[in-house]
Amino acid sequence: MTQRYEVIQTDIAVIGSGGAGLFAVLKAKELRADLHITLISKGAIGRSGCTRMVQGGFNAVLNEEDSIEKHFLDTLSGGKYLNDQELAWTLVNDAPKVIHDLEVKYGCFFDRDETGRIKQKAFAGQSFDRTVHKGDLTGIEIMSRLREQLFRVKPRELEDVRALDLVVSKEGSISGVSCLDVRTGKFIFVNAKCVIVATGGAATMYKIAAPAREKTGDGVAMCLRAGLKVRDMEMLQFHPTGLLAGESRMTGAVLEEGLRGAGAFLKNASGERFMSRYDSERMERSTRDVVARASYTEIMSGRGTKGGGIYIDISHLGKDEVQHRFPGMVERTRLIGSDLSTGPVEVSPTSHFAMGGVEIGIDCETSIPGLYVAGEDSGGTHGANRLGGNGVAESTVFGSRAGIACARAIDQFELNKPDEELLQKSFARVVHVVQGEGNESPFTLTNSLKETMWENFGVVRDEKKIAIAETDLLELRSRLKKINVPKNQVFNVALNEALDLENQVEVALSMVRSGALRKETRGSHSRYDYEEADDENWLKFISYQLDDGENYLIETTPVQFTRVVPR
Amino acid sequence: MSMEKIEVIIKRSEDDTQREFKVRRFSPMTILDVLLAIGRSQDATLAYRFSCRVGMCGTCLVRVNGKPVLACQTPVRDQRNLKIEAAAGFETIKDLVFDPKPFWAQWAKVIPYFVPKAGSSEIAVIPHESDERELIDPHVNCIQCGACFTACSVSGGGNDFLGPAALNRAMVLMADSRDGAGEERREIVEGESGVWRCHQALACSVVCPKGLDPAASIRKIRNRKVFKRKK
Repeated sequence: MTQRYEVIQTDIAVIGSGGAGLFAVLKAKELRADLHITLISKGAIGRSGCTRMVQGGFNAVLNEEDSIEKHFLDTLSGGKYLNDQELAWTLVNDAPKVIHDLEVKYGCFFDRDETGRIKQKAFAGQSFDRTVHKGDLTGIEIMSRLREQLFRVKPRELEDVRALDLVVSKEGSISGVSCLDVRTGKFIFVNAKCVIVATGGAATMYKIAAPAREKTGDGVAMCLRAGLKVRDMEMLQFHPTGLLAGESRMTGAVLEEGLRGAGAFLKNASGERFMSRYDSERMERSTRDVVARASYTEIMSGRGTKGGGIYIDISHLGKDEVQHRFPGMVERTRLIGSDLSTGPVEVSPTSHFAMGGVEIGIDCETSIPGLYVAGEDSGGTHGANRLGGNGVAESTVFGSRAGIACARAIDQFELNKPDEELLQKSFARVVHVVQGEGNESPFTLTNSLKETMWENFGVVRDEKKIAIAETDLLELRSRLKKINVPKNQVFNVALNEALDLENQVEVALSMVRSGALRKETRGSHSRYDYEEADDENWLKFISYQLDDGENYLIETTPVQFTRVVPR
Repeated sequence: MSMEKIEVIIKRSEDDTQREFKVRRFSPMTILDVLLAIGRSQDATLAYRFSCRVGMCGTCLVRVNGKPVLACQTPVRDQRNLKIEAAAGFETIKDLVFDPKPFWAQWAKVIPYFVPKAGSSEIAVIPHESDERELIDPHVNCIQCGACFTACSVSGGGNDFLGPAALNRAMVLMADSRDGAGEERREIVEGESGVWRCHQALACSVVCPKGLDPAASIRKIRNRKVFKRKK
């Protein structure tokens, strides 16, 4: 049956309303106030996604004693030289400009030192303390100020509207985005000259996970279905200190990296500062990949807590000091009945961030003209491991660049007619779920996904487990076809869970298949069966691409050391 | 065992009825955990909203036993009965999900965005211990959840009062020496929908999940503290 849909015509469609999406809107409007921009967000605009959740802060070179080269080398060293060096170079060069925009144009006010200049704090893996922040809840400041600017530039806001697919014309040019209005259950086609994908990664697919609910890899899944190549999908970062709160949804919420920067200890159940056995030089201030792996090994070797974690302890700084410097984190622990300011708190590695994503150029352009990808949906900037503080920098830097690139190029693009068959196929995915008469619950299937990813493609992997993960995912993909959800389409939570899950499973498959191929340990991809980094064979990145929906192509490409050769 | 269960009454929008659920208690547990337990294993038709679950996004505002709270920041301890409804003063989309449009409409009226002063091109040098920051700092970190807006006896009634959150934001901007829209914004907030409509009943400050005090912001505008400093 042919589905009816509303058409919205626009110059630029932006999918996602986090840091990347909002920067894209603001920058495009700054350059071309005459453009019509449509902002599509499956959650509340400016209040969903993860930029809002940024705690510690934003890495940018602002101090004369620091340098762009240092930030660049830190980023490559953290990324184990798997980074696309041009993307990383762009990141470190543009980060100070974005901080400037946030303060001078958009009115953010970051923490200052005694002289009244921006104060930068210590994060792990940095040769200079360069993390700009607002207390320990930096994301609220950034996202609130950006969201407000939308009242000035007035894009068309599609709040609670889920982007389903990127739709091309019969000739293969970008034509727009098929959408489901979550509030009404009706279909929309946003017909656009340019599309910017900025939805964020898929790290929620683990049992213990940090991100906001919305982060289900929608952007990457849409791009995969549109035939784009993704890279580094095996690189999923675990933040070392996720809160353990039993069955509560609070489990997995991050306790920020600044705690380790400020001197917090990590201890196993017997009170030993175990990092001395893994990285005696940097101890707790080692990079996220190293600390997460160490914590996981402690837990798996029976040296963890009863609750399956380790302890973070910063109480030696004194109650008042901790309360003063980390009020948000203290509040977070008190809510679950512990107290960071007075004693140890149980934590575990928590799934946090996808380094992998769509292959892009430095202006976020992709292999489809008119289609841009920015932020966590893209891959390459961080290589095998992202430094704390480089995440929000990436979203805002590349969101900004995508907006500018679109506005500059817009006159080259036309409003293309969609391939009606593709559009209907996209709507049919939703109809299929709603009309399904099977017996599978989307919530149960999501739990199965989270379990298998945690068990079999978690902090440390091996060949056997990776194979189990792939088998489980393929089974999940077929069970998804038998899903059953309530039939009323108005704000249908279960339907949306099912659509999220379709995206997550597609992204998860790209992760485990890439992970199976990389037979070494590098950055966030740790293997029991290949414990060492293999620079001779594996300074290569893995690209993955869907062929016809079921089949896939996978290939490796040597990293181009365009600026620095690994030492 | 039944003592271990929490009796939860949820107001449903479809036929305007109340439905009762029994939820197994665990610890730690929040109102959001209660909603997830119901929605995921008892009644998949229940509509509710959340995102970050750590008190940063402000989207999970509901009314629990009559009081506006963030579901994710409200612990369930030994309560045996919970009544959960959509926040008051908004149009309900479905069950606990409401349309925040009236909140943002008022927010938009105060020129809520930063307007850089003409000619400013450098990051401002402002020490934390300055008078300006002392005035501002207690009022930042608003997450736009709307709890104050719905609790306020004036704005919650659906009239044109700008409301606590928007006025709090206006105060912060008015006190910010970097902002250049001061006079225009002052006229709005001192106008007929502005600060003089506030009854200082303090409901806003009582319910704020971030511990902010919008009523104090309103007083700061009223007694023109934000302008004295700027001379």
